[in-house]
Amino acid sequence: MGNGSKKPPDTKIRLKKFDQPEDDSRVKLVVYASWFLFCCFCLVGARLWYLQVMQGKYFRLLSEKNSVKSIRLQPYRGNILDRSGRLLAGVEPSFNIGIVLKDAGNIEGLLSRLEPLIDEPSMSVRMKLVAAKGQPAYLPVIIKRNADWKTVARIEARLYELPGVVVEVAPSRLYPYGKIAPHLLGYLAEVSLEQLKSERYSHAVPGDLVGKYGIEARFEQELAGESGYKRVKVDARGRMIRVVEEKMPKSGQDLTLTIDLDLQLAAEEALSDRPGAVVALDPRNGQVLVMASSPKFDPSIFANGLSREEWKALNDPLYSPLVNKAIQGQYAPGSTFKPLMAAAGLNEHVINMHSSFFCSGSMRLGRRRFRCWKKGGHGRTDLYKGLVQSCDVYFYNVGLKLGVDRISKYAFGFGLGKKTGIDLPGEKSGRVPTRKWKYRRYKEAWQKGETLNYSIGQGFLLVTPLQLSRMMAAIANGGILYRPEYVLGEPADRQGTVPVKPAILKTIRQVLAGVIEDPHGTARRCRIPGIRVGGKTGTAQVVRQVKRKQDEKMAWKFKDHALFIAFAPVDDPQIAVAVIIEHGGHGGSAAAPVARAVIERWLQLRSPKPSSFLERTASVSSMYRERPDV
Amino acid sequence: MFDKRFLENIDWLFLLSFFLIMVMGFVNLWSASAAAGYPFQWKQLQWYVVGTVFMFGAMAFDYRKLASYWVHIYVLTVIMLLLVMFVGKSVSGSQRWISLGFFNLQPSEPAKLLMVIVISSFFARDEKEQYGILDLWKPTLLVIIPVALIVKQPDLGTGLLVLGVFASLVYYARLKWTSFLIILGAALASFPLLWKFMKPYQRKRVEIFLNPESDPFGAGWHILQSKIAVGSGQILGKGFMKGTQAQLNFLPEVHTDFAFSIWSEEWGFAGAFVLVGIYFFFLSRCLYIAQNAKDRFGSFLVFGITAMIFWQVLINVCMVLGLMPVVGIPLPLVSYGGSSVLTTMVGVGLIMNVWLRRSVFQRKEVNQSRLGYGHVSSGLTG
Repeated sequence: MGNGSKKPPDTKIRLKKFDQPEDDSRVKLVVYASWFLFCCFCLVGARLWYLQVMQGKYFRLLSEKNSVKSIRLQPYRGNILDRSGRLLAGVEPSFNIGIVLKDAGNIEGLLSRLEPLIDEPSMSVRMKLVAAKGQPAYLPVIIKRNADWKTVARIEARLYELPGVVVEVAPSRLYPYGKIAPHLLGYLAEVSLEQLKSERYSHAVPGDLVGKYGIEARFEQELAGESGYKRVKVDARGRMIRVVEEKMPKSGQDLTLTIDLDLQLAAEEALSDRPGAVVALDPRNGQVLVMASSPKFDPSIFANGLSREEWKALNDPLYSPLVNKAIQGQYAPGSTFKPLMAAAGLNEHVINMHSSFFCSGSMRLGRRRFRCWKKGGHGRTDLYKGLVQSCDVYFYNVGLKLGVDRISKYAFGFGLGKKTGIDLPGEKSGRVPTRKWKYRRYKEAWQKGETLNYSIGQGFLLVTPLQLSRMMAAIANGGILYRPEYVLGEPADRQGTVPVKPAILKTIRQVLAGVIEDPHGTARRCRIPGIRVGGKTGTAQVVRQVKRKQDEKMAWKFKDHALFIAFAPVDDPQIAVAVIIEHGGHGGSAAAPVARAVIERWLQLRSPKPSSFLERTASVSSMYRERPDV
Repeated sequence: MFDKRFLENIDWLFLLSFFLIMVMGFVNLWSASAAAGYPFQWKQLQWYVVGTVFMFGAMAFDYRKLASYWVHIYVLTVIMLLLVMFVGKSVSGSQRWISLGFFNLQPSEPAKLLMVIVISSFFARDEKEQYGILDLWKPTLLVIIPVALIVKQPDLGTGLLVLGVFASLVYYARLKWTSFLIILGAALASFPLLWKFMKPYQRKRVEIFLNPESDPFGAGWHILQSKIAVGSGQILGKGFMKGTQAQLNFLPEVHTDFAFSIWSEEWGFAGAFVLVGIYFFFLSRCLYIAQNAKDRFGSFLVFGITAMIFWQVLINVCMVLGLMPVVGIPLPLVSYGGSSVLTTMVGVGLIMNVWLRRSVFQRKEVNQSRLGYGHVSSGLTG
């Protein structure tokens, strides 16, 4: 050391000083520091105790939640089949595009990149995101359902610049025969937040499609199945490490309907887009063979949310496509009420087969004239002629003899004025007027003139097409009222018998055959070679017409409703049909051909050699019967 | 090189505790490496070996020589920190490393230790019963320059740590009560200023710390995940290499700043308590050595190094346990990092150096009385 000569003395002084063990000041400082050290480590220890021992369970749970992700495995919804097992509504895999908000980051930037890729209006995407507020952030908000292959490919290719966007495979409804009987089958739509709170939809989670209408809603729990899950270990980036636990989903039950696809198609074809309804029952057991309501809607549009235009179109008050007119439409039955009147008159002995009345084209009651539809009148008219030619004056007279009370008794007896009890939500009961009802409603006594209107199915009387078809079925089967049933395999539910002797009903059936077969019959158009058909036309006034105008000149919405009821074969009835075409004009020209199409198809199916149509549908159905693999 | 008596004087318990921390750190890094997907444990082992050599090197010479070289040391520190500003390697926004080819040196790490030497040297030369504010302008000036350079990198955590070590040394030098209050007031008053100089991400960290639930998927993620990791370890832990938080990458920086998090997750309260306990024993022992050092410089040196290690342990552990905002302070000997390991081991070597030479001095006193002044230094190196 070069400068060592100067240093040692300094060092020595210091050494001496610090050598003294009683250097209190330094000891004190170290003791304080040690206490500080001790306190700090106590704090750390206490914190460790708190986190690991006291809160350990909670954090263990959090860590498991972190690393184990539950993936819900969606069950296949049950198929809906027609009576011979053909697929009315199946399932197929589809692609849903969703956004996991937790992973999305800047949502605006994401949307600006995503929107050009999907064919979906920006507004509706935003609406869906707003609507999804309140659902857990790790669940994807589905912004587009049923995306086509091209869209999926476009998005998959750009996933790296679309954080949070997921493409999910989900089963969606498949309608191999197109939108058949949408009113009966119903539709699926995303479960709403209110519905999620209810017991009925306890199986659903946000984003699920649930039945909201028709059979899909009524049998939601049976069709939905049970969802499974897959618990997988994932890392922080969400990559799957391994499967921890798996429970396969349980597919929903299949539901086989009594509907006959061929007949349903025939009815819907015949109706085309004219507003109206067709119901066909098997009179022997009350099974519903056809339930068609027109115009139809597309059941697949609800799943992806509706635009305002679509919603407006669905709620059009004139056509009301969303209303199942077969059970919710209430119409004056018009002349289709006359068979019931005839049966009542015979049963009450106020008339017999030979009693006749003179029709001059109108009938005077008090100061009012009640017209027959035929200006010139029918002349002397007995029961056969009255029904076959639908003479109003004849039934005015029958009505007068029966009186309102007895008419109503028989109307109720044939199942009108109350719900048929079909297992579908929203069925209407129609209306059978009584004196009591009139007084309650209008605080007025029943007028005789109203009895006349009542006798020809006008006035206060309202029926649904289903009620009408059941009335027809009861006449056809000898007087038994069945609860209409649309699920195959359910036992026939006999609700009662009509208060008319079976022999009288047999007579009525023969007369109704004349409506079609007689050269003067109102429904000659419904004649079908090879089978005897019985029926009755009806034309229900929509507005009170003081003067009859030419049909062509009237606005469409003021035109009469066209009705027709029929059964076949006359000697062994196996099908009963009711048709209504709103504002269709005359029952014989507008409604009868629809019933004819249905019965014709029915006849075709019964013949030993099935038509080529059936073969085609059979092959298509076998194609879709197998569930596609996802 | 070593006197035989050195071995007799070695504090084996002290060395054992130090060795145990290293072993735990290595075991922990094994697991963390699996999580991070890079074999850090082997590189760390290299640093332990190199560090051991350095440690013995730091024990081999008379520590008192360091006091006289304080100017050189100080200049070296500042040059290193300046160098990192100009030729430093930038990693995720902060320029903290100098590439030496085989090794990326992080100058702020040795700077901590070197500043302890410089400040200890000051207090050893400038001996007073008590210090007032005005007496401290020189060391304050000495400290401010490197701290400013470190904060500029930016590495606010290490900068504040150096200030903390300085404050600890000032405490050890005995500060007047009035001065203490004034400094405390000034420190509190400077918080808004500090806030102003903070980078947005630093502010965010403080905000998150004050309200961690405000952004659980964003910046609050680290703290939250670390707390989940520690807590989910429960009493006995999930087992070596079985910590889901760490192994499935829910924890950030498992091999460096959040190393204690994975340790606590896999070894539970038992493991965490043992590690913290050993640190406590180790640091208490350091304080004991500081108390028993035979000269003022040695005592300050040991106290300063102890403070350096202590503050790092405390800040890192508190951060992991969610008691402090996220700052990039490693856990000495447990976190991966060559600069940190070498600095810590050299520091420990210096502490042992002081401890060993307490008896040498006793012997030298005898020698001095017998042989006179001239032989002091020759006796030490012989």
